[in-house]
Amino acid sequence: MSARRRPSSAAKKRASSAADWLVEIGTEEMPAAYLTGTLEQLRQEAERICADAHLEHGAVETAGTPRRLMLRVADMAPVQRNPAEEIRGPSKQASFDATGQPTEALKGFLRGRGGALSQTKTVSTDKGDYVYLVKPERLSPTKQVLPELVVQLINRLRFPKTMRWDASGLRFARPIRWLVVFYGTQSLRVSLGTIRSGTHTRVGRPQRLRTMSIVGASMYEPTLVKQGIILDLSKRRARIQALITKLAREQGGVVAPEMVDHGLLDEVTALVEQPIAIGGTFDQRYLQLPREVLLASMAKHQRVFAVQDGAGRLLARFVAILDGKPGKPALVRNVIEHILNARLADSMLFLEQDLKQPFAEGKNLAGVTFHEKLGSMADKTQRQQQLAAPLADAWRLTDAERSRLNRAVLLAKHDLVTTMVREFPTLQGIVGKHYALRSGEPREVAEALAEQYLPAAGKRPSTLIGNALALLDKYDTMTSYFGIGIEPTGDQDPFGLRRAAQGIVEIIGGVRRALPLSPLFAARKASAPFAAMPAEQSARTEARIRMYLFERLYTFDWPVPAPSRDLIDAVLASRPDDLFDAIERIQALHALGDGPALLRAAKVVERTHNILKSAKSPAIEPDQAKLQEAPERKLWELYTAHREPLADLIGRRSYQDATARYGEVFFAPLNDFFDQVMVNVPDEALRQNRLALMRAINTLYTVPVADLSKLTILQQSASSA
Amino acid sequence: MTFQRLIRTLDMFWERQGCAIIQPYDIEMGAGTFHPATFFGALGPSTQRVAYVQPSRRPTDGRYAQNPLRMQRYYQYQVIMKPATDNMQQLYLDSLRAVGIKVEDHDVRFVQDDWESPTLGAWGLGWEVWIDSLEVTQFTYFQQVGGIDLPVIPCEITYGLERVAMFANGLHDLYQLPWDAHRSYGDLHIGPEKQGSAYNFEHADIDLYRTLFEQHERESMALLGRQLPLPAYEQLLKCSHAFNMLDARGAISQSDRPRLVLRIRKLAKECAESYLALQQSEAAEAEPAKAA
Repeated sequence: MSARRRPSSAAKKRASSAADWLVEIGTEEMPAAYLTGTLEQLRQEAERICADAHLEHGAVETAGTPRRLMLRVADMAPVQRNPAEEIRGPSKQASFDATGQPTEALKGFLRGRGGALSQTKTVSTDKGDYVYLVKPERLSPTKQVLPELVVQLINRLRFPKTMRWDASGLRFARPIRWLVVFYGTQSLRVSLGTIRSGTHTRVGRPQRLRTMSIVGASMYEPTLVKQGIILDLSKRRARIQALITKLAREQGGVVAPEMVDHGLLDEVTALVEQPIAIGGTFDQRYLQLPREVLLASMAKHQRVFAVQDGAGRLLARFVAILDGKPGKPALVRNVIEHILNARLADSMLFLEQDLKQPFAEGKNLAGVTFHEKLGSMADKTQRQQQLAAPLADAWRLTDAERSRLNRAVLLAKHDLVTTMVREFPTLQGIVGKHYALRSGEPREVAEALAEQYLPAAGKRPSTLIGNALALLDKYDTMTSYFGIGIEPTGDQDPFGLRRAAQGIVEIIGGVRRALPLSPLFAARKASAPFAAMPAEQSARTEARIRMYLFERLYTFDWPVPAPSRDLIDAVLASRPDDLFDAIERIQALHALGDGPALLRAAKVVERTHNILKSAKSPAIEPDQAKLQEAPERKLWELYTAHREPLADLIGRRSYQDATARYGEVFFAPLNDFFDQVMVNVPDEALRQNRLALMRAINTLYTVPVADLSKLTILQQSASSA
Repeated sequence: MTFQRLIRTLDMFWERQGCAIIQPYDIEMGAGTFHPATFFGALGPSTQRVAYVQPSRRPTDGRYAQNPLRMQRYYQYQVIMKPATDNMQQLYLDSLRAVGIKVEDHDVRFVQDDWESPTLGAWGLGWEVWIDSLEVTQFTYFQQVGGIDLPVIPCEITYGLERVAMFANGLHDLYQLPWDAHRSYGDLHIGPEKQGSAYNFEHADIDLYRTLFEQHERESMALLGRQLPLPAYEQLLKCSHAFNMLDARGAISQSDRPRLVLRIRKLAKECAESYLALQQSEAAEAEPAKAA
């Protein structure tokens, strides 16, 4: 790695006789999803191997197609310099016998390290005298070193799944069929499993590969380019994008954006090495199918690109990318069209069958299991119906909005028993939306159905009812699983509960509406599995759920710059009930930055907190009659004067103003108090009263807003205050 | 290329590669992989080269003969080459040429397929072979069968015969394929396909198939206790078919599914173990005889 940045004198010296190292690993078709990662691994491992082997080199490059992985290390020095080294052997005592002859222990050590007795010396260390083997710098020709490194390199590549394919037991993502290794113009002999490297690569279309000779490292890429192979991934991607854009335009449209966004372009880039594009059409009447169904049929089942018009409406057209030019392009187009039409005809049958009755009717959700201990989708729907009311209250929904939400909850899982979702499981929710619209359900209800599984892939629900439904779905799922003792642990989260909890927090952060957890759980615990649970266990689970939800604030997608962890700690320490209130408090305090307002308030909290921390005192109201000194009478006065206005500010969630005011009011008088008044006096009654005053001032802020004693700015400013 | 000639041509092609051309198994199964020649043949160190047609039942894929690509009963052509040779892809492409598909005219693609049969405890890596965006073949290097690592890697090639025939004939509807000079594939199959779909989806007796599942499972376990892996495996096949029928009737819930699959898989694992144990003891008995 560092070799690249060596001083230029070394580079010049190297350049005179340096040569490129080229490796081509020829495989049967590698999985498309592996290609990018494998090329990156290959590059990193090559850098590492060169560094470990003390081989000086220039740029390291990798490229690949479904059938080949290429590594090229530029300007590799012709000689490997293994630096001199001293290796510690056995102790002197163990190395030589009474007559001064070397023992078996020493001889064994030298044999193992390839050294001679004449190369040893004795060194005194703090642990005693030891025999050291002194090996001088060794030079080896690079071309002799490389073959072994090729084997190491290939063995180091890791894949999600590997296979064996012959008696050698060699493992790789797919069978390796050939190997080309050059150092400059010299072909190197490498044995890997049953494979012997050679000078021939394989080119052509997958149905008829032929061998082609490579004359040296520098001729590798030009030879392949001449065969129409685009080796580099990003170049190939750009080429395919240009091809599909051009053909879509010729067909009067543009490529549907989902094709690029959802990875089809990347996938196709990894599926071909000589991209050729052809356009085609399908039967107009299939445009009645939901867009997502058309896209899934084209992208997932046939890997062809959908085309839409300027207004974003799909056209009955597609663009396919082929690997190399077929003998009969028109025939290929014709076949793809027929296959696509047949698939879409199948989907049309599903559509007709599913719409034989209105979407709201005849759906047997009791037959679809949610979880064996948690009942069916009918049960889940019922639970979500019960939760809709407290959520609607918290969000202050209008009567019209409430009825839309209730309708959406009722219909949410209906599409799970349609033939279309059975065929395209990933389109759950989306199919529901289309069917709801076709059955005359209100648009808000239909949109909500499509949005119920969001947030996903960075997309949040956009409608109010969609947000509400998505939240209910996740809240029910999360509480249900927690209720039967299933919680995410470490990276184990088979039921997606972490994602559900995170989704709830993202939804609340997005819609900026209240989510008081107590009333919601009060509604939740009326049904299974909580209904049959002892009250104590139910309360314990509620606490777990609450904690788990609030902890998601640490990984919430905050606007940048994100609030620091200690700020979130401070707000959570005040045990908010409403998730959105917590978000507002964090954002308000965060907006104060590390300015004086926040710091002053934090100081007040910290000083009162510290004095209370070490004291045992019952929570009592301060007794005005026992306030003797002027500074404590002053504090009491301020406390009584500002208690109400502060509570009022907090009640209106003016957390910035409340914080500023709290600091402003108490900071200086509290300093005076600590300067002039002793809290821990021998008179127990007096001491208790002063502690009570401290508690009153502390909790005035920390209970309803945040325990600012958790803030790290206090440590940074310890000296300046 | 008539359908019957297509089969004969593939038989001849793979016969030349040293495959025994054997006959379909006479028990309903979801795929050629379930044939004992593949399941047991893949296990252990012995070599295996075999090819056969296997009528395959996929009750949920029935379309009342309305779909030109899908059926509830169709024909797979299955090849097992164990050990896999280093030119399997080449051999496969040559077999397509042998049946008259001019592959150079088309777009051929090997698309990743991490193949797995949960019921058989089997998995392997390979591809779906696509011609002009239609999957025509599954191509797999088996790694495990019955939950047991394979000491010798077999290559399995499973042709969807109807789809291959469509390309060999330039037709897009399998029912139009010529079966022989006088009959189409449709003449022979439309009626059965319609009746089969109706039976699978509408009339199959759910209670009957539930009972069958239980009874065949019990029988299989009993046979395993008597070191009879093949008859035990036949009972597993019947279990598996009962499962598929229940599935088509919508009688398997999401939570039932993994449990039922696991029950079949357990039988598969025990059949595989029992088979290997039997082979070993037979080999041990044969050894002294050889020496003598």
